Amino acid sequence: MIDVRDLVVSYGTATALEHVSLTVGAGEMVALLGPNGAGKSTLADTLAGLLTPTSGTVTVGGRLALIPEGRRLFPDLSVADNLALGGWRSGLRDPSPVYDLLPRLAELSGRRAGVLSGGEQQMVAFGRALMSRPDTLVVDELSLGLAPNVTADLAGHLAELNRSQGLTVLLIEQNARLAFDLCRRAYVLESGRLVTEGECADLAGDPRVAGAYLGGAIT
Amino acid sequence: MSAFLTYLLNGLAVGSAIALVASGLVTIHRVTGVVNFAQGTFAVIAGLCTSSLLGLGFPHGLSEVAAVLAAALAGLLTGLAAIGRPGTTPLSSLIVTLGVGVLAYAVEIVLWGDQPRSAPGLAGSVTLAGARVQTQHLLVIGVAAATFALLALFFGRTYLGKALTACASDPYAARVVGIDTRRMGLLAFALGGLLGGVAGVLVTPLRPISFDTDVTLIVNGFAAAVFGALTRPVITLAGALLLGVAETMAAGYGYGSHQLEVALGLMLVVMIVQASRRPAISQERA
Amino acid sequence: MTARTWIVAGLAGLTLALPAVLDDSALAVYVLLGLAAMVTVGVSLLMGYAGQVSLGQGAFYAVGAYTAALLALNGVPPLVGLLAAPVVAALAALVIGTPLLRLRGHHLAFATLATQLILLSLAGQLEFTGGDIGLQGIPQFGVGSFEAGGASVYAYLTWAGLALVMLVTHNVIASRPGRALRALATSEIAAASAGIPVGRYKLVVFALSAAFAGLAGGIYCFYTGYVAPGSFPVLLSIQYIVMAVVGGLGTIWGAVAGAAAITLLVQGLDRLATLPGMPAYAPGVLSYAVYALVLIVVVLFLPRGLVPAVSGRLTGKRTKRADR
Repeated sequence: MIDVRDLVVSYGTATALEHVSLTVGAGEMVALLGPNGAGKSTLADTLAGLLTPTSGTVTVGGRLALIPEGRRLFPDLSVADNLALGGWRSGLRDPSPVYDLLPRLAELSGRRAGVLSGGEQQMVAFGRALMSRPDTLVVDELSLGLAPNVTADLAGHLAELNRSQGLTVLLIEQNARLAFDLCRRAYVLESGRLVTEGECADLAGDPRVAGAYLGGAIT
Repeated sequence: MSAFLTYLLNGLAVGSAIALVASGLVTIHRVTGVVNFAQGTFAVIAGLCTSSLLGLGFPHGLSEVAAVLAAALAGLLTGLAAIGRPGTTPLSSLIVTLGVGVLAYAVEIVLWGDQPRSAPGLAGSVTLAGARVQTQHLLVIGVAAATFALLALFFGRTYLGKALTACASDPYAARVVGIDTRRMGLLAFALGGLLGGVAGVLVTPLRPISFDTDVTLIVNGFAAAVFGALTRPVITLAGALLLGVAETMAAGYGYGSHQLEVALGLMLVVMIVQASRRPAISQERA
Repeated sequence: MTARTWIVAGLAGLTLALPAVLDDSALAVYVLLGLAAMVTVGVSLLMGYAGQVSLGQGAFYAVGAYTAALLALNGVPPLVGLLAAPVVAALAALVIGTPLLRLRGHHLAFATLATQLILLSLAGQLEFTGGDIGLQGIPQFGVGSFEAGGASVYAYLTWAGLALVMLVTHNVIASRPGRALRALATSEIAAASAGIPVGRYKLVVFALSAAFAGLAGGIYCFYTGYVAPGSFPVLLSIQYIVMAVVGGLGTIWGAVAGAAAITLLVQGLDRLATLPGMPAYAPGVLSYAVYALVLIVVVLFLPRGLVPAVSGRLTGKRTKRADR
């Protein structure tokens, strides 16, 4: 569960987020859309506790894990070590539950993370986040730089976890099609402000959203 | 030939001590991005502590271990000053460690005076393939080798060691998984103090130590560390051994008075060559 | 005239009148303070404008001192020796700086430290520099038939030297290249992409700061009458950093105030430490402790320096670096 109220985050004199409020209910899967530089990653970092709000409140129920933009694996360490470090917070270092869920990672476990393909790296980042046994998962740019079939595979795992284990998900995306496929609700962030929010079905019909995020095609 | 072998082994002993100082420098730099100017100070503190403890009648072993722990504590305190305050830039931290080094002068002079002190080490010498080598030199090589093996095991095999490596390779990602990078930085400083302390304990019986010996130690350690661009332990080790052997050979074959220039000149050349190969962007972070 | 000009003129007049009423031991402090200020203005310019830390500024001080001493000992008129000191120091900086200034941050800090150690080691071994004993019997400073007899002459010479250094720095900062230099301190890449010849400007600032140190070294050698490697320890270079940092980097008056504050503090503690009953090591210990604590506290808690922090509080507004 995530509850953000009137959040302002500034770096020095520059303000990255201005009076943002959003909620993601327990077990819900919600998308956050927005162009580059809108403040999406600032919001992700604030939710993960890496940035301190200038004002406003952030409430997170249970444990939250972040899959950061650009995966950010530890390139010199093996896949197994990357996963083990994912369990730093929970103290659970045994990766076998993650291997059960993502068997491909068991095959890769001895490889150095830095030499993997983008899709494999994203899967490791996914597994690393799951190692902390999160109740809420924030995924920053799941699809960035990945082939559509790889994205679809990862998205399938995400949806499955949401359905079967009630994992709360905030999906931060530039790819609105993916977001609308997976989520029922979405927020749109531009220049540090929420410009619109609502049911994905309605947003897809909104000409502004469709124009900006769906290449003009109204589905 | 036997003279050459003697110089080589003596040089490896000197290089091992440099390597210990340098590896502390590299450990701290990798995890925190800070070049610790007080790295030589840790060796001085440990050396002076050993000399005092042995002088007070404490047995060998206990004295050395206590001295190394004192150096580790000094490392932790240096870390608290250098990175304890959020928002301190690496260059500000360098200046703070410079201040810590000078502050240590004041403390050391009050406690130990300003004259060089020595400590008894392993007496005697052994003959290896016709070359006479002081036993203490062999001890230095042995202990340094064991320390490096333990260090490699620590970073390669333990969870904590891997967490330190994680902080070094991507501090942001380390924070994402919940690692407190500041605490890890302090741990790196303590580890750096420990490594400097081991160097000081080993070197004091060979070469008397005074409060201002830290400049020679840090400059040699930094020279070795730049071989490995301040981040790569194995190349740093090789650089330190090379430096130790080169300096000892220079001294042995009659160029002793130019030892320091050789080491410093080499360091300058390595740095300048590295700088001309690297794009400016990667350096501006430093 | 503005209030600021009045204050500057008043300070200049006051400090110029001071040597006439000071005794010899106070004059010694006056001279050492002024010389330290000359070097610190250069260090502050280098750190505040080129954004680079030099741990080897004492090397250029030494180059200036040895240059003037060697020339004077070989019969060259002292004035020529004194004028040569900054020139040779600047030339040395140009030669050393051309490769060295490719380095940045801690690399440059260690490289400049290494330079000083190498120079000192060479000076201690070469015959013409007098080895570890150094050069002694340097003649008094003089021009034509006039020869400096008392310490007050050196005080006036120091005053003139510092005034020159401050004037030159002021003009450099106010010039168009000086304003471009400001960009250097923040980001070299940004400065380079704005078309500023980064490398050349950095070298010029480096040489200029070396010239200031060389001039101070020249006056120093005539004042003390001898120079030796031991006169220029690494701690001397660290001391200039402390003074520059205390005063606030990139400010002329801050550098002077920093040099004055630290010199007076250390001298005062020195008096205290040499009182009867104090241990023999007290003077050294106190000065080390002062340098160290002042440096650490200012870097951590007053990163803009003492003078800007205080004046900022007095005027009740945040003084930006660009304002000065």
